[in-house]
Amino acid sequence: MAHQAHAYHMVDPSPWPLTGAIAALLMTSGLAVWFHFHSTTLMTLGLILLLLTMHQWWRDIIREGTFQGHHTPPVQKGLRYGMILFITSEVFFFLGFFWAFYHSSLAPTPELGGCWPPTGITPLDPFEVPLLNTAVLLASGVTVTWTHHSIMEGERKQAIQSLTLTILLGLYFTALQAMEYYEAPFTIADGVYGSTFFVATGFHGLHVIIGSTFLAVCLLRQIQYHFTSEHHFGFEAAAWYWHFVDVVWLFLYVSIYWWGS
Amino acid sequence: QFDHFVTLQQVSRRQISSTVRRQLVNKVPDKQKLFQEANGMPVHLKGGVSDAVLYRATMGLTVLGTAYVIYELVKAALPQKKG
Repeated sequence: MAHQAHAYHMVDPSPWPLTGAIAALLMTSGLAVWFHFHSTTLMTLGLILLLLTMHQWWRDIIREGTFQGHHTPPVQKGLRYGMILFITSEVFFFLGFFWAFYHSSLAPTPELGGCWPPTGITPLDPFEVPLLNTAVLLASGVTVTWTHHSIMEGERKQAIQSLTLTILLGLYFTALQAMEYYEAPFTIADGVYGSTFFVATGFHGLHVIIGSTFLAVCLLRQIQYHFTSEHHFGFEAAAWYWHFVDVVWLFLYVSIYWWGS
Repeated sequence: QFDHFVTLQQVSRRQISSTVRRQLVNKVPDKQKLFQEANGMPVHLKGGVSDAVLYRATMGLTVLGTAYVIYELVKAALPQKKG
């Protein structure tokens, strides 16, 4: 029976990169078809394929790590590099939207009334729901750190409780933000103010939902005894992502909500 | 005295089994055995029949979707002449 003479992971051939690539093709073409021909079939098909790909690909990674033992220390190091590089790319993604915001708000054009917020725009009060949202995300940063320490110390029940609390705080943020969107006195169509506000906060909100989902998967895995006190990288990756989401919010709050009002 | 001892054993056994039923039992060792079986199956199919069903559904949608997108793109690229 052949055994590898190295600590790295030579993965089994997998169909998910192909199905994922086709999903991306279908979603992008589907978007164009929706815009020009008013049909959402192609785009929906792409979305379903994306969800199927993500479910099976990540399921396989859990199998390879937790059940087959392929995530040796050098492999885990590679996974850490990978997550850090991905989060860095997301930082640059948000940097673009902050660039757009500062470009328009630092030198407001005559069309806007030469001022920021532009003439006619009533910005949201930064000391009402946005401040509550800040507290909610900061608190969730504390609870997720509590989870990490609980996992490392083998405190199973505390880990489950603090992780559940973290996810609930994330959902509370999303609910509050959805309500704010509904009640806002301006829309995305209200000039560059509306565009920068809703695109930046909108993408942030999407990342909160993604982060909450990632944490929820970790909760299920923690309940099912996947994590050990020494080896729980899936959770660490989710916690890093969650802190990143929190930091982006702090920048959004200070720049757009507070300075921008 | 021996009867009391036997009764105590039965009580302990009842309490232990009800505790196991309330909490989740750790199935990771069973999963490890299943996914380390030397049967030559790739990881995406190694879980059993449901893996194969989900794979076939996904690949089916992939092939159908590819055909559909080519059809839509060709249709969009060829203008339909009126009259």
